[in-house]
Formats: sequence, C-alpha cells, structure tokens
Amino acid sequence: MSDEQVKLDALVVGGGPAGLAAALTMARQGMEVGVLERGDSCGSKNVSGLLYTTVLSDLLPDYLDSAPLERPVSRRTLAFLDGEAHWSATFGAEAWSAAPCNHTHVVHRPQFDRWFAEQTEEAGASILDSMVVEGLVYEGDGPGKRAVGVQVRDDEPLYADAIVLADGANCLVTESAISELGLAKGKKPQTWALGVKQIVALPREKIEDRFNLDPHEGCALDFFGSPFEGLVGGGFLYTGRETVGVGFAAKAESFAARKLKPREVLDAFCRHPVVRKYLQGGELIEYSCHMIPESGYLAIPELIGNGVLIAGDAAGLVNMSLYHEGSNHAMASGRAAGQTAAKAHAAGDFSKAALQPYVSQLQDTFVMKDMAKYQEIPEIMDALPELFSLYPRKLCSLLIDFFTVSQQPKADTQKAAIRKFFAGLPKLQGAHNLWKARKLV
Amino acid sequence: MSTNLFDLSLEDKLYRTRFETDHDFRHIEVEDSVCRTCAERTCLDICPAEVYKPDPNDARLVVARYENCLECGTCRVMCEPEGIRWRFPNGGMGVKYRYG
Repeated sequence: MSDEQVKLDALVVGGGPAGLAAALTMARQGMEVGVLERGDSCGSKNVSGLLYTTVLSDLLPDYLDSAPLERPVSRRTLAFLDGEAHWSATFGAEAWSAAPCNHTHVVHRPQFDRWFAEQTEEAGASILDSMVVEGLVYEGDGPGKRAVGVQVRDDEPLYADAIVLADGANCLVTESAISELGLAKGKKPQTWALGVKQIVALPREKIEDRFNLDPHEGCALDFFGSPFEGLVGGGFLYTGRETVGVGFAAKAESFAARKLKPREVLDAFCRHPVVRKYLQGGELIEYSCHMIPESGYLAIPELIGNGVLIAGDAAGLVNMSLYHEGSNHAMASGRAAGQTAAKAHAAGDFSKAALQPYVSQLQDTFVMKDMAKYQEIPEIMDALPELFSLYPRKLCSLLIDFFTVSQQPKADTQKAAIRKFFAGLPKLQGAHNLWKARKLV
Repeated sequence: MSTNLFDLSLEDKLYRTRFETDHDFRHIEVEDSVCRTCAERTCLDICPAEVYKPDPNDARLVVARYENCLECGTCRVMCEPEGIRWRFPNGGMGVKYRYG
C-alpha cells in the first residue's frame, strides 16, 4: 500500500439506519470511520413510514428531544376494505402519547436520517456524501480472500480494516461482495415487496380533526382487502404533523403476475371512500417508492466475510409480519456489527472467524429471534391469497348484512347473513387456513 | 396540470418529487438482445415511475426514460437476468426525497 492511499479503521457503505448505527458505535469506540452515502445527504434516497425506536433510544437516549419526529403513534387501526364497505379495529393507549410513546413514531426519513448522520458525525465519524461505491477492493484468493477497501466511482479507492455493508434493499455492493467472497446465500432466494407512497400536505388542524387527534398524538392505519385484489400486501395512512403519508406495499411478483401498475393501484386506494375522506383537499408534495426485502429469515445470507459485515435491509433483516419492522432491525444489526468491528479493531484481527461474534450476538437479540419466528410468513402469504381478499370481504359483508336495518325479523337477517358468510368459504380449508394464519401474528 | 389530488397524472406526481437530473449519465441501460426474447415485459407495468415505454421504432424493444427513475431497483430484480444494466446514478444525482 503506497503512502498516498487513504486508509481508515472502518468504512460503512450506506448512510441509513444500519450504517449510521454501525458508524456511531465504532466512532464511540475511538475508531476512525467513514460513511459513504450516494445521496447528497443521508436519507435522500430513503422512504418509510413508521420508525420503531427501541434501539435508537439506547444509541441516542435524548432522541425524543432532538430528533425530527413527526408524531408518535398513539393509536393504530387495522382496516379491511371491500368495495365501498369497510370494517376496522382500532386500539391505542394514553400511555402511547407520553414518552417514550411506545417507541413508535411517524418520521420523514430524509429528515430523520440527516439528523442521525449529524449525531454520528458528532461522535467522530465522517459522513462522505455524494459518493457512489461501485464495489469492494479485495486481496488474496480462495478462503483467504478479503475485502480491503471500497472502489469509489470516479475517484481513488478508500481502504479500511473493516467494511460494514449497509447499502439497503437495492444492495448492489452487498450482492457483488457475497459473490466475490463466496459467502453463503440464504436457503431461499431473496424477493422484494414494492412500496409506493404519496405525501399529502394538509393543515395541522385538519389532520387532527379528521383523525381525531390531540396535537401530541398520531396514528397509523393499515388496510387490507380491496383495491388490493389479488395483491399480496396492503395500504397504509400515517399522520405527520402537517402531512399524511398514504401508500401501500405488495410483493413485486404479485403486481407482475396481474400486470397491475403500482401507481394505478395507489390511485385506486386513495380514491376509496374511506381513504379519500382523510386526504381530500390536500396537496401532493411528494411521490416516492422503495423496495423491501420480504423473504425473511430463510433468505438471510451469511452476514460476515473476511473484513466484511452485512447489516440492515442489505442483509434482508425485515420482519414482514403485522409489525413491519425494518429500520429498528437495521439499527440493531448495525450496532452489533459496529461492536464486533470495534473488538476486531482492538484485537487487530478482521478475519471472518474474528467477526463471528456479530452473528452470534445478533442471534441472541430480538432481531434474529423475530426473524426466525416469522420465517414462514412469505410462504403463508403466497399460499393464502384468501387472507387478503376472500376473508376480509366475507367478514365485511357479514357485518354489513348483520347490521342492515330492515323490518325482516332479526333471526332471519342473521341466518341469511351467516349462510352467505359460509357460502363459497371452503369450511375445512377455511379453518386450516386460519390456523396457519395465526403465524402472521 | 390538475390540482385535484385524486386526478394527478404520473407527470404531475413526478413534478412534485425533487430530482437532480444527470444529463451526462444514463444509469439504466436496456440490453436489447435480452429484451427481444422477453415475453413478460414486466418492466412496462412494474415501474412506479413508468420509466419503461415500448420503443417507438421497434415494438419488441423498450426505451428507458432514466430521468424519471425513483431508484427503487424493482425493474432490476424483476427483469430477466442481464436484461437491465442498472447502476446507481452519480453521487448526489437522481431522486432527492424531502419526506420519503
């Protein structure tokens, strides 16, 4: 290595929650860390709705006072749509409006990530924005092959002892590193959901009136049923202070199989009477989309190689159950990767074997325990399209039929409603499916 | 341009998203030889920004309006292997979300 080469203790590819948590952790251990971010600031390529903050509260305990959080989620709704009918379950607790707000907040990720990057810089890491990593630089061959640096587009390579790969869902760098270093892929290939989202600006009072919120409250509504007919996924409404995020995510393959255009499905969702009333009069201020790795536990690749640790979405660490937990897993894995890299730094050994504690540490946390618990979700969602169409519709029409007011005797109304409910619902299969579906929770 | 939230065209929507267009770097390139053999043409429907359109000069091929790309990467993972060469736009270029 010549004198002109720039070498740091660690480089992090990607300035999202995983990469920043890793960089923050390593910088606090006195390591010289650089975060390579391809956007002109951290978060400028990122989209998401809810942020769970349990790991953040460990990393930056003052976050409630200083982070750009929109609203806490003090109330949640699971709603089922059927044509123009609907039913929903809403739940919440006063405690969720008071710190730490059930560790659930609506955020605008470009704003949140930029703040997180500032905290990471304050801890001593360097954020190198507008830098595109084309791939890693390697030395050696066979099992001894190791990553020694990153190839930056139109620039000299940068070198480091440890490289944390946190390049997100569309992880070109991680993919090439897995193949270059011969890391084991997951037992199943990764597949992705596609999320499409609109940010609608509305006056604060309108949001609070429409969603029935106090100024310090917020809510999250998740939708299933039509107009997601045949799509494996659902829609959402999240309240910001003066914005409403409306969108939906579904398996990319289920769009393709039905030749549905994501934008048109989102439009249909926004026009549904239930959704429309929340949004009308609002002004669209941004349209966005993002992929989500959704194959779960069985698609997680080997997370370490010589000189390399993989974290966050790039590692496929997304819980696709009703919890929709990704960013928190990203921070937990980034933190664990950073802790292991700091130990490796102290020991002067960055071999795959020396990085093994990252994997075992992660196995002991909620991240891998939850990933393992929900490992059957992708299969269940594929095998039971009824969950997203037939069942919600049946439940919806049962309630509508049950409560439709008429001069017919109630016994007849109820009998007819129940008969209609079971018509076209394969009985044994229905019970079996519901039993399987318990794993979604 | 419509201002009713529910009637916005894709162009209206993209207009409200901030971009830093790089006129010197096409970060998406379609491999015509793969494209010619593709019956699915998933790219035409799957892209939320409708970057892919049938090539007006050859209906078997598609053209990519890379300037509209929101960089999700779905086309890359859904296309036939080697069908789309998808690279990251240059640093600081491309989509710049303000809200995400």
